[in-house]
Amino acid sequence: MLHLDNVSFLYPGASVGVRDVSIEVKPGELVAVIGASGSGKTTLLNLLAGFLTPSRGRVVIDGNDVSAMPPEKRNLGIVFQSYGLFPHLRAWENVAYPLKVRKVPAEERRERALDALRRVGMGNRSNNGPRELSGGQQQRVALARALVFEPRGLLLDEPLSALDANLRVEMRDEILRVQRAAGIAALLVTHDQEEALSIADRVAVMRDGRLVQIAPPRELYDAPADEETARFVGEANLWNGTVAAQGRVRTPVGELACDTHGYATGAPVVVLVRPENVLAHGSRDGDAVNSFTGVVAADRFLGSTRRIDLSVQDASIRIQTRTRDAIGGVSIPPDAIRLLTPTNKIQPQEEII
Amino acid sequence: MRLVTVLYLIFLAAPIFLLLVGSFGEVWSNTLLPQGFTWRWYSEIVNDPSFVRAFMTSLQVMVATCVLNVLVGLPLAYAIHSAAHRGVRFAARLAALMPVAAPELVLAFGFILVFSSDTLPWLGSIWLLVAAHLVLTLPYSVTTLLADMEQIQLGEYEAVASSLGANFFQRARDVVVPLLGTSLTSALLTVAALSIGEFQISNLISGFLSRTYPVTLLQAFYGATGFACAATVVLLVLAALASVASSLTARATSGGRAS
Repeated sequence: MLHLDNVSFLYPGASVGVRDVSIEVKPGELVAVIGASGSGKTTLLNLLAGFLTPSRGRVVIDGNDVSAMPPEKRNLGIVFQSYGLFPHLRAWENVAYPLKVRKVPAEERRERALDALRRVGMGNRSNNGPRELSGGQQQRVALARALVFEPRGLLLDEPLSALDANLRVEMRDEILRVQRAAGIAALLVTHDQEEALSIADRVAVMRDGRLVQIAPPRELYDAPADEETARFVGEANLWNGTVAAQGRVRTPVGELACDTHGYATGAPVVVLVRPENVLAHGSRDGDAVNSFTGVVAADRFLGSTRRIDLSVQDASIRIQTRTRDAIGGVSIPPDAIRLLTPTNKIQPQEEII
Repeated sequence: MRLVTVLYLIFLAAPIFLLLVGSFGEVWSNTLLPQGFTWRWYSEIVNDPSFVRAFMTSLQVMVATCVLNVLVGLPLAYAIHSAAHRGVRFAARLAALMPVAAPELVLAFGFILVFSSDTLPWLGSIWLLVAAHLVLTLPYSVTTLLADMEQIQLGEYEAVASSLGANFFQRARDVVVPLLGTSLTSALLTVAALSIGEFQISNLISGFLSRTYPVTLLQAFYGATGFACAATVVLLVLAALASVASSLTARATSGGRAS
């Protein structure tokens, strides 16, 4: 089990870093860390790996405090963004290297390296040098090398960002399959929220060095902690509004009927509606609640879906739909509406205390 | 454009060509090219004990300088490369490059001043010569190695190796040295060529029995033209051999890397 326990780290002379972050990754679990650049997600990985030492808090691996332990003693497999295969060693020698430094006999380490390569589908390329391998193949070898010594955890630092789109999806499944088979705790750092949502058991959202939310992908998508998170994870319609009355919210697109439970009348809220939950109509649907008409401002064809921005009053509603007909109106089912506390209302909390 | 190149090459090659011709010429006075053909000058050199000794001294100094460049230059470059603080890196780099900026005459005077004293009476010894050559050549090897370390992003490979469980010595043996093989060889090529051709400092600090080849060569210039030419050709061949040998090793290293 990988455990960051209330960890803080500040880069010398800079205000960035991470503050009071706690994350636990259980054996067999894959936790993805997402966030904008500079949010501290890579710092988290470096703290776990041992390339950085926390200024406060503890790094605990399998119950042992390893905060002061150098990387080579932590027994964690790391897959780097640049793969980092040694150019002077062949594929199998690269995979055998962690066994060599662990003094495994030559015969056994060759066998285990070849076995690990077979498990990532690279058994037939074991004698190739890194330069003769494509990006995806190099990444497979790097994955085999990070797992061959049965590490206590697997850390993946933007492992797919250098690959092209199709290969990225393929490798995503491959990483998940290999990680599941090995049954070890894995932490994936990525800036690609779709990648995080698709393979992680839980997703941690970092912002300005803080852990904003950690939740299973569906929960994160349906119930983001705040406006920023909703904006970062998936596409979202986000409108500032106020609770007009119980069950009614006033927004720039008009008044919406929805569940206002937990918010007092007059309270400022942010209204979240996912584009795929907006129902598109040819014209105004008089029977539906939260029904609006507007002018199509943008209409993009994305293959399986269409993304439309409909100008309604002073704002616009983004719609994701599969229909290819003309669109003149929309309706928003009340259960597709989620109210969030505005982000700037949450942040000052700490200063008050 | 092509004409300019050809002219430039002729300009470069002409002195070497004339040296070669002159070294086999019997008489060379008041004519464009020497007259007659003879091996005499070369046999005179081979039979001249002071030239033979100087030749051997130069080889010894060169080999020792190369070895010391590996033993001192590589760790020095590594230390500069991995120094965390930018200011430290800059200062170290500046200090390492200093001997290039200082005129050799100044360095030689410093050596004479320090090593002719009673406490350190080493002026004229071969080891002092090696030390002087090391000071002169170290900047070249350190700069070459540093550039390569940055270019191949050695730090990343080291991070990878340490994540795989390699400690400092294992990383040095398995990653740092093999990855720097090519640039180390090319650095040593420069070092060897510099050491063999070095005249200024060697002339000032070498003793009577520890003269290097270029220092002895100066004496030849006062004698017969053919002898001087032949003696210079020997130096030229020596330098050329050093570079050929080094580039062959460089190719072997990079070839080994690709296979």
